[in-house]
Amino acid sequence: MFFGVKKIRKAAFLAAAVAVIAISQAGCATESVTQSALPKEDKPPSPVVSAVDFEHELDSYVPKKDEYNFYFTYKIVHPWWDAVALGMEDAQRQYLERGVTVTYEYMAPSEASAEDQKERLSLLEPDDYDVVGVDVADDAIISPVLDEMMDEGFKIMTFSSSDASEGCKRIAYVGNTHNYQDGADLTEALCEKLGYKGKVAILVGSKGAPCHEDRARGAKDTIAKYTDMEIVAVEYDMDSIDKAYDLTLGIIKDHPDLDGIICCNMSNPVGAARAITEKGSSAVIVGMDHDKEALRYLNDGIIYCLGVQDCYSIGFDTIQVAVKIADGNPPGVLYPDKANEITTIIYQEDAAMMLKLLYGDIL
Amino acid sequence: MKKEKEKGSKRFVYTAIAGSVVLMIVLTLSTLWASRKTVSSTDEAVAAVSSFYLEAMADQRAQTITNLINSNFEHMEKALDVIEEEQVESQEDLRRLLGEIKRLLSLQRFALVDTDNVVYTQYTTYSGGSRYDFLQAKELQGNVISTINMYGSSKQLCLAIPVKGLTIMGKPVKACFVQIDIREIADLLAFEDDGRTYFGLYAENGGNLTDTDLGQIISGENFLKGTKDYLSQESWQRVSSDFAEGKSGSVTLNAGGMMEALCYTSVPYTGWMMAVLIRESIIEEQIHGISDNNRLTSRMLILVTLITVLAFASVLILQLRKTSTIKLEAEKATSRLFQSMANIDSMTGIRNKHAYSEYERMLNSKIQEGDLGGKLAVLVCDINGLKYVNDTLGHAAGDQLIKDASNLLCEYFDHGAVFRVGGDEFTIILHDKGFERMDEDLAAINRVIEDNITKEKVVVSIGHSVLREDDKQIKDAFERADQMMYERKQELKAMGAKTRES
Repeated sequence: MFFGVKKIRKAAFLAAAVAVIAISQAGCATESVTQSALPKEDKPPSPVVSAVDFEHELDSYVPKKDEYNFYFTYKIVHPWWDAVALGMEDAQRQYLERGVTVTYEYMAPSEASAEDQKERLSLLEPDDYDVVGVDVADDAIISPVLDEMMDEGFKIMTFSSSDASEGCKRIAYVGNTHNYQDGADLTEALCEKLGYKGKVAILVGSKGAPCHEDRARGAKDTIAKYTDMEIVAVEYDMDSIDKAYDLTLGIIKDHPDLDGIICCNMSNPVGAARAITEKGSSAVIVGMDHDKEALRYLNDGIIYCLGVQDCYSIGFDTIQVAVKIADGNPPGVLYPDKANEITTIIYQEDAAMMLKLLYGDIL
Repeated sequence: MKKEKEKGSKRFVYTAIAGSVVLMIVLTLSTLWASRKTVSSTDEAVAAVSSFYLEAMADQRAQTITNLINSNFEHMEKALDVIEEEQVESQEDLRRLLGEIKRLLSLQRFALVDTDNVVYTQYTTYSGGSRYDFLQAKELQGNVISTINMYGSSKQLCLAIPVKGLTIMGKPVKACFVQIDIREIADLLAFEDDGRTYFGLYAENGGNLTDTDLGQIISGENFLKGTKDYLSQESWQRVSSDFAEGKSGSVTLNAGGMMEALCYTSVPYTGWMMAVLIRESIIEEQIHGISDNNRLTSRMLILVTLITVLAFASVLILQLRKTSTIKLEAEKATSRLFQSMANIDSMTGIRNKHAYSEYERMLNSKIQEGDLGGKLAVLVCDINGLKYVNDTLGHAAGDQLIKDASNLLCEYFDHGAVFRVGGDEFTIILHDKGFERMDEDLAAINRVIEDNITKEKVVVSIGHSVLREDDKQIKDAFERADQMMYERKQELKAMGAKTRES
């Protein structure tokens, strides 16, 4: 046969393995496992081969049942969570090959809304699902709901990019555990690029969304370290590219000498880059995630760097942990209370490879 | 005359040999020319055959994809008919039903989508608004064929059809779709041919849909990027333009001296391009193999023809020589016959006067050279009463009388040379043994002759004379013998023998 169909997958797997080794050797054993390949003085950013691992295999845990049914809800219908879904589907297929049928619902509103999430959760019955997974839309609103559900007999886990509030009774969390650090790392990269001097704006996603708020916090704390850096605006786009665009236009108008924009979610950098390009601003953009348009802006040099989360692994591990939770296993030995998933900061030279890896170089 | 005939035969042989040689040379040269012409024609044909072959392969595979698409659309329609007839009241009912349909119709991901863009599959139910572009529209205007990138995991062909009037668990169904992994389509299209041909599926911008290598020079990357280094700027721009417009075409790549034939064609309805590649040397090997066999056959033909012509020429020469020999022998025999006819008396079969004259000339030469070697006698014989028999009994009786006389003389002088030198005249030359027995034989024959007078059988008057030392020629003895013969004739007449008159 002349088809090397696994070449790319293997390359990605190897790249991820290299990344993991790099993390462990760098001593990042704290809360943050962000692989921030930050540029050093007079040195170009280290090339990041890959930030997403598509090569996964279930661990050796043997499920106690033949069938599981889960319910997952997340913030908003968005490509970022589609990537998470692919990892979940991969795990589901692998369980099926082992004779274990996993079924689930994976639902979200078309606009981010904690109230919508609350309503969805309120419609569920404990007996219908082995585990309910929640990507917390707003920790202040949702965390109490989750506690109530736990009391009602639901087995609750959180996943994706946002955990519940500290002290929530949820059983475990699988996803980004280092949003604060991601925000700090991106901001550090921006500060270095600007020579630790200048005016910056912060775009945040949904108000109350833990992941977005944590990143914004990390960004603010980092800026605070440098006396010549100034935050001139903090705005929320509510996960809307169009709103991010409008907000950026407004910020540029109010601050024509703007030097940089820190973007805390997937829609922020796309809207910001559109506005910057349109207005011919020289503001440096740093942001999150792997939106195709954002990667193209990165490739074109409009966006300086992007923090890419390993969505596929988040999805895959979410299903694995859900099965263990469904079987009554507490966090600790079989799975951690918070499963670490990596974030990789990529630069212009990595954009083409990332575009091809994620979007396959097709129109 | 004989020499001219021999010359003619030789000329014929030389012409035959020269003709054979010329024939062989012409045959050899024409075969060599044909052989070289075959090789050059083969080279020209390789490019054409490569292109034609690849085009056929590409079209065949593209048709397979089209068939796959059509059959999936048909299966979806059937599936909807089944779903409409079923009572679906819960998520579990729907999943079981979707699973059953998938299994029965051998579909991959088979899904229904409600008007909230919630996707229902056998194992999962999910919000799909951002995952499928065709769901952006409120309702589908017709069948939709699209390519979905599943991030780095795979690329899939998505086939969707609009659904109207179907409600599942209180929700109107908007669409129905299947997803097929493009790598599985590639596997379906692949066949084992010892790595002689390669093919790949690409987007119109050259993006690789199957992450596969196309031969050894174009790795699993963008097709247009991969071919750029191996084509002239003009060719590459033409290929790029063809891809963008979904047009078919073919090019030849020169990769480090290795010629690769590449053909591409659009896959109908999908927006994909299919490229098929084969190394020209593969076809060259195949065709040159046939060519080599043909050349070997031609050489064998030349050799066989050469041997045949040589054998034919040899046989021809031998045959000509044999014919010449036979002719020569025949001519000799004829000559001898003519000579014999000139020297032989046709009635009696003994030598005639011409023979006697030659013989006499030969003897005279020897006499003159003194080389006669022994004694010699001449006998002159004359038949008595031949005229009488002719006149009274007819010429047939007369002829018989001559034959009887000849036989009688030959019987008694069988060691001598008997000649008929006239109508009723015979001359006999006795030499060696014949001479030694002459007296004895004369006495015996004369007794018979004398007895014949009364029996009315042949009577011959014989006079003889021995060649004397002073004789200069045979004639000398002949005359004496002739004289004696007349005397004997008288004696016999007296005894009653017939004379000319009686």
